[in-house]
Amino acid sequence: MKRLDSILLKVFLYGLPAVVALAVFSYSYGLGIINHAAGHVKLLYNFAGFIFAFWMMLSIYLSVRLMVSGWFRDKALAKLTFMRERDEREVVLTGKATKTTFLTSLAILIFLFCLSCFQVSIYRVPPEKALNGKTGFVSLGLGFDLLERSAQAKPDDAIQKNDILSYTGLPVSSTTVILVLILWQIISYNYSMRRLTKCMEGNGPR
Amino acid sequence: MSKCLAQLKIVNRLHILRAEHRITQEQLAKEVGVTRATIVAIERGGYNPSLELAFRLARYFQTDINTIFSAEEENK
Repeated sequence: MKRLDSILLKVFLYGLPAVVALAVFSYSYGLGIINHAAGHVKLLYNFAGFIFAFWMMLSIYLSVRLMVSGWFRDKALAKLTFMRERDEREVVLTGKATKTTFLTSLAILIFLFCLSCFQVSIYRVPPEKALNGKTGFVSLGLGFDLLERSAQAKPDDAIQKNDILSYTGLPVSSTTVILVLILWQIISYNYSMRRLTKCMEGNGPR
Repeated sequence: MSKCLAQLKIVNRLHILRAEHRITQEQLAKEVGVTRATIVAIERGGYNPSLELAFRLARYFQTDINTIFSAEEENK
């Protein structure tokens, strides 16, 4: 299993440039052009599709293995995050840097959770719909959905309102949030590690 | 840590022993199985080694731990 995982990881990594090249090729030749293209270009396009499908399946398999196999995690992710534990001092530093990264990530996640739950709306209504002579309103709310919510149609009797400010959750996609968190983990760990190493080698114990 | 306990500062004579034995940091690191950066950190007082590493250092210099490491009360 370990040997198979190592081979598949290498195939995945060395296949990355090929997948990028295939993506550029597929983008350059749209489906309309491909339909009227010569036989070999069509064949290459179909081959690119198979390669991409294989690469996608491989990435799913490897991400599942990363979750369940401690050995594989140590081998692949430790390299990716530039983690080094050559002796006891580096093990101590890694522990401290990991703690910092974990706590800052948790703080960011709590902050993002708050931002995704809070709903703020500042709006004006037409004078005929004024309430106690007031036409300006501030609406505050909390929203939590377990599953992705599809956009709901506005009811017919909804009050015509002129939105000045409307905030109903994070304006970025979940993919962006996940990518930013992955990058944050790597950057934060390496920054903490560098800072701790400097402290330990230069100014005495911390 | 409890407020009643005084802070202890661990000092070491590693660089003196190393000079006496005419051995470089790199060589010592190799002998006790750590990186040179760890020896540098111990000598500068930035890192207190584990008991195991302290014993390995003592064993290498053929002495006891107290000859290499001692504890002083830290003045605040």
